[in-house]
Amino acid sequence: MKNLEALLQSEFTIDYEDNVALMEEVLGKSCDIVKREVIIHEKVDIPCCFFFTDGLADDKQIDKAIRDLQYHVTHLDGTVLGSYDLIRNVQTHLLSDASISQVDCCEAAVEAILSGDTVIIADGFEKVLILSSRGWKTRSVEEPMTESVIRGPREGFTESIRTNTALVRRRIRDPLLHFRAMKIGKRSKTDVNVAFIDGIVKPGLVDEVFQRLERIKIDAILDSGYIEELIEDVPLSPFVTIQSTERPDKVAAALLEGRAAIFVDNSPFVLIVPTYFWQYIQASDDYYSRYWVGTFFRMIRYIAFLLSLTAPSVYVMLLSFHQEMVPTPLALTIASGREVVPFPVLMEALIMEITFELMREAGLRMPRPIGSAMSIVGSLVIGQAAVQAGLVSPFMVIVISITAISSFAIPNYAASFSIRMLRFPLMIASGTLGLLGFAAVFMLLVIHAMSVRSFGEPYFSPATPFRPSDQKDMVFRMPWWMMDKRPHMAKGDMYRQTENQRPGPDHDQGGHESDE
Amino acid sequence: MKTKITNGILMGLIINMVYPKAIGVTQGLMAREAMNDIWVAMVFSTIKGSVIMLLTVLIICRMPDKNLAEYASVLFGKWVGKFISLLQILFFLGAYATVMITFVYHMLDYFLPEMPVLLLIVVALIVGVYGVFHGLEVLGRTALVGVFAIISLNVLILIGSLHLMDVRELMPFLNTGVINTFIASRHNDTDWAVATMMTGMILPMVREKTIWSRAGVGGVMFSAIMVGMWPLLEVGVLSPEVTGHYTVSCMQLARSAEIGMFIHRYEMIMVAFFAITSLVQTMICILCTSQAASQLFGLKDIRPMIIPSALVLSAFGYWIVLDKVRAVELLEHVWPVWALSIAISLPVILYIVGLFIKPRPTPSDRETA
Amino acid sequence: MNKPLSVCLCIAFVILLSGCGKREISDLALVMAVGLDKGKQEGTVRVTAQIARPADARGQTGAPSGQTGEPIYSISAEGRTIFEAIRNLARFSSRRIFWAHNFVIVINEDYARDGIMDVIDFFSRNHELRMRTWVAVTPHAAHELVSTQTGLEVIPGQSVDRLFRYNEIVAEAPRTDMRQLLAAYLSRTSHPILARLTLKGRGTSNKKPQEHGSIDQVELSGTGIFRKDKLIGTLDSKESQALLYFTERVESAVVPIPCPDDKKNEASLELRYQRFTVEPTYQNGKIYFDVRLKTYVDMVESGCRSRLSQAELMQLMEEPLEKVLKERLEKVVKAAQRTYKVDFLELGKYFENKYPKEWKKVRDRWEEEFPRAVVRVHVETEINNPVLLEERVNQRGENK
Repeated sequence: MKNLEALLQSEFTIDYEDNVALMEEVLGKSCDIVKREVIIHEKVDIPCCFFFTDGLADDKQIDKAIRDLQYHVTHLDGTVLGSYDLIRNVQTHLLSDASISQVDCCEAAVEAILSGDTVIIADGFEKVLILSSRGWKTRSVEEPMTESVIRGPREGFTESIRTNTALVRRRIRDPLLHFRAMKIGKRSKTDVNVAFIDGIVKPGLVDEVFQRLERIKIDAILDSGYIEELIEDVPLSPFVTIQSTERPDKVAAALLEGRAAIFVDNSPFVLIVPTYFWQYIQASDDYYSRYWVGTFFRMIRYIAFLLSLTAPSVYVMLLSFHQEMVPTPLALTIASGREVVPFPVLMEALIMEITFELMREAGLRMPRPIGSAMSIVGSLVIGQAAVQAGLVSPFMVIVISITAISSFAIPNYAASFSIRMLRFPLMIASGTLGLLGFAAVFMLLVIHAMSVRSFGEPYFSPATPFRPSDQKDMVFRMPWWMMDKRPHMAKGDMYRQTENQRPGPDHDQGGHESDE
Repeated sequence: MKTKITNGILMGLIINMVYPKAIGVTQGLMAREAMNDIWVAMVFSTIKGSVIMLLTVLIICRMPDKNLAEYASVLFGKWVGKFISLLQILFFLGAYATVMITFVYHMLDYFLPEMPVLLLIVVALIVGVYGVFHGLEVLGRTALVGVFAIISLNVLILIGSLHLMDVRELMPFLNTGVINTFIASRHNDTDWAVATMMTGMILPMVREKTIWSRAGVGGVMFSAIMVGMWPLLEVGVLSPEVTGHYTVSCMQLARSAEIGMFIHRYEMIMVAFFAITSLVQTMICILCTSQAASQLFGLKDIRPMIIPSALVLSAFGYWIVLDKVRAVELLEHVWPVWALSIAISLPVILYIVGLFIKPRPTPSDRETA
Repeated sequence: MNKPLSVCLCIAFVILLSGCGKREISDLALVMAVGLDKGKQEGTVRVTAQIARPADARGQTGAPSGQTGEPIYSISAEGRTIFEAIRNLARFSSRRIFWAHNFVIVINEDYARDGIMDVIDFFSRNHELRMRTWVAVTPHAAHELVSTQTGLEVIPGQSVDRLFRYNEIVAEAPRTDMRQLLAAYLSRTSHPILARLTLKGRGTSNKKPQEHGSIDQVELSGTGIFRKDKLIGTLDSKESQALLYFTERVESAVVPIPCPDDKKNEASLELRYQRFTVEPTYQNGKIYFDVRLKTYVDMVESGCRSRLSQAELMQLMEEPLEKVLKERLEKVVKAAQRTYKVDFLELGKYFENKYPKEWKKVRDRWEEEFPRAVVRVHVETEINNPVLLEERVNQRGENK
């Protein structure tokens, strides 16, 4: 291995054969590395060698480069041929590619080849040319799978980082929108871009992000999930402190609120930092639909959040400790349903919860055609048959289904999963200690949640610490013409819009008069 | 690392510090003496409370980076400062006992009669210690959650019991006489005392000292608004006699509340909210005690003192709560004397003495300033 | 930060696994009503509990269950104290007796005459019982009343609960719950009153429609009057209606009045909006109460074969209505002042609110003072709404 390190550090020499041999030695006998030798001048006969990776490099571009060199080199003045300037002239006069550069280090050349570029080694030249020829098969821009909307753009990120940055750039054509690049991963050398808008972004945030990214020493980054886990604030917490999204519009909105986004190559999920907890309950639809609708749906999602966190535990607690809290007619109904159930309530709830999680997981991993069969079997098992066999009470089925539905109503999958996880300790505590257990575990959760920070921002921010100015976009979604200011986090250019944006007939009048 | 909290959070802490005992136990205690005038007694003690609060803020404003004990040690020397820390520990020892009485009797008597008392104390201890380890800032944010809980609780009880209220029970005004009512208000004074003592300890950690006095007195006023509806409702719905009849009379009010025909058993939701504020109060008590203890032993960091002081507090709380007669004896006779002698004399003496003695700036002062 | 967390979690887990004080809803016998009688032996009490059988009370809920067709299960036990009797109930009950859902406490009048202090104490001290439980007295054996199937609801306790809740339609008994009983008992100014439940054969079986009244039903009507904790007498339904003006708000009441020029027939008047005030005055050591009732009345039924127009008819009926109402109010005042000599009308409270200083003087001898107080009743009525009809039904046809 040391040998390879040394080879990589070595520089190219004037000797063509040596250079080619060096490259061959470094790249080994990998079958996807293509070596193509050509001779480019019929009179002077300059040997040239192309190295590129099959599948990553675009064949058409290489074809064109070879054609350029072979046919047009004759147009060059004879005097320059064979001279030191040949290569420069080749670069400036012959190759019509958009991007081309010279390197003298072996490592850079190898990296270029493995990234899909083509390396051209020419005789009589101690540098090599790198021809940008990246072009591989990528997924086209499709509708995001995990975050679909009724109203709003249907584009989602792809695995290609350039496409992704372009999708955001198309939304913010501002020179102040910067993308800063870096590479992470000793072997994978994954491209990572950090996006932010200068003049809006929270001060110090970009430095903080880079500091944390540079700390990462890992061999490969296969998805942005790796990065997320390596730069989180509270690695032990069940809460997700970094939002990942597939939607370019969400990223653009976050950038405009003063956040930063981390793009990772090969991952359609872009990370947004810092994150507030409430963001997981907000969906893009809220902002694109009218504000009444947005506010209403948001309320529904808050209810869903509460239900999916507490519904089974409250049910277990009521039935095993605080039966007097159930309204009498309901108590009789529940008691009659439980008459034949052999399990304690807590166990019944756990069984049903686990059954549900099993169904969800199986449905997710199954090939789609089998999925429907799964759901039929599942609904039979946890619905009809279990109740009729007297294994579970009908009420428990209802509670668990409501919980399940609620957890699906939370727009962010990661967040909904962490809420589902928190349900279990809460359920066990309330099933064994009643209200005391519920209150204590809930309180522990609250204290923990209050201590969490995401990139310096308190996680539950606009609520606790209470920020009156940010309340316009938390529980309610105020109309756009009222949200003049950017959130508290943004610095610099605080105003989104000029004042008095509220539309109305009196505003239009001036315009009408001037038209006439 | 010096944590700083905002004035809004200070107000939240004050509200949480006053609320649970004031609604839970104090009203019953006062109703036994002042009958239907417990709301007047509350007004009296709110005035007294805000005066003491103002005094505390004024004292600390003289040296904004020192709390009461540190201020006293600058004025009189190290040992007096330590003595005051000891007084503060003693005060919070009693305060914790009353907090535990409130918390445990709410849970135990009405919800979990078969639960061992020890378990309740241990759970409060665990939650309290866990919270205190996160420091004042997190605690302050939790206190804001507590304020949300208080507001929801108040709204719920208001919806449920306003229609049961009989205004005739509130009459006649000042039935038992002004003096008697004033004397009865001492029970509520102890609640304010807990808040002012806490303020005396944590005020230096609050930002923007220019609005300290506004935040302190504002906190008292907000708490008074939050608590104020309870004496009115308890007397109006239950009658003063019944209010005085129970140890935890607010639970009887909560149990009588009903929204419409179907929702007539929802006190558990209210008590769940109540538990949040009660646990916040527990945490603040532990925090204040461990801070006083660390000052007593001359430690820079309060962390090493958290677990010992929490254990001492819990042990004492357990001993008190275990015997109901002892608990009521403490609440009714011992605690008012205990609390008020410390909480009133301390700020008053420090304020008056501070008017005459102007401490010379010592080198150590300049460093901290 | 992590160490305390993990320690806490460990401790919490150990505690949680132990699980204390747990009993599930299906292990409980939910008591729906409770009756208190005198026991067979002197000085004992007999407690009867009406327990719901959930599977039968709720029928088909998906699960097969052993249906007996009997939605309730009533058991009784005796003991020297209420608590002992309740503990003795557990000898028969296969499930733990659970009181929190109790709707109503029924006390036999013989028992109540000896004092219900123990009942008040026990049911207000016990944490399982709620302050919103209705309390009533009955002249019948309480165990009989408690085990009677009554009303439309499957559970009779629930039917009685509905009787109390919708009581305002007839307004013939006070809606007394534990909270009011306790408050009145503890109060220095007033004495408790309790609603009265009686059994009346008013139900008719579907199988034998010709036998009217073969099934006993529980009726809520009348009031039991207490001095301190001892029952001393009862009020009938009319007196109770008048009593309600003093103790609670009366939403509506119906009074039949003979037609002005046709004494054979009657018109029904419904009292819709009423303002009731009590104005105490204190003059020269003498206490006066001015009771004023102002009411707006709907004519809801008129069987009058009269020549008069509806408006005239209504005008003419105001005076007899006033007289009837005044008589009723005076009757209940008389019952309080003369017959029972206890202030169950809460007049002392009115007096205390107006004259707190004077009240302190008379407070201790209010028992003697109250019968001597002068109560003046003033009634004012206004019949101003013939509901839907503008003209009398028989106006044209009957005009001779």
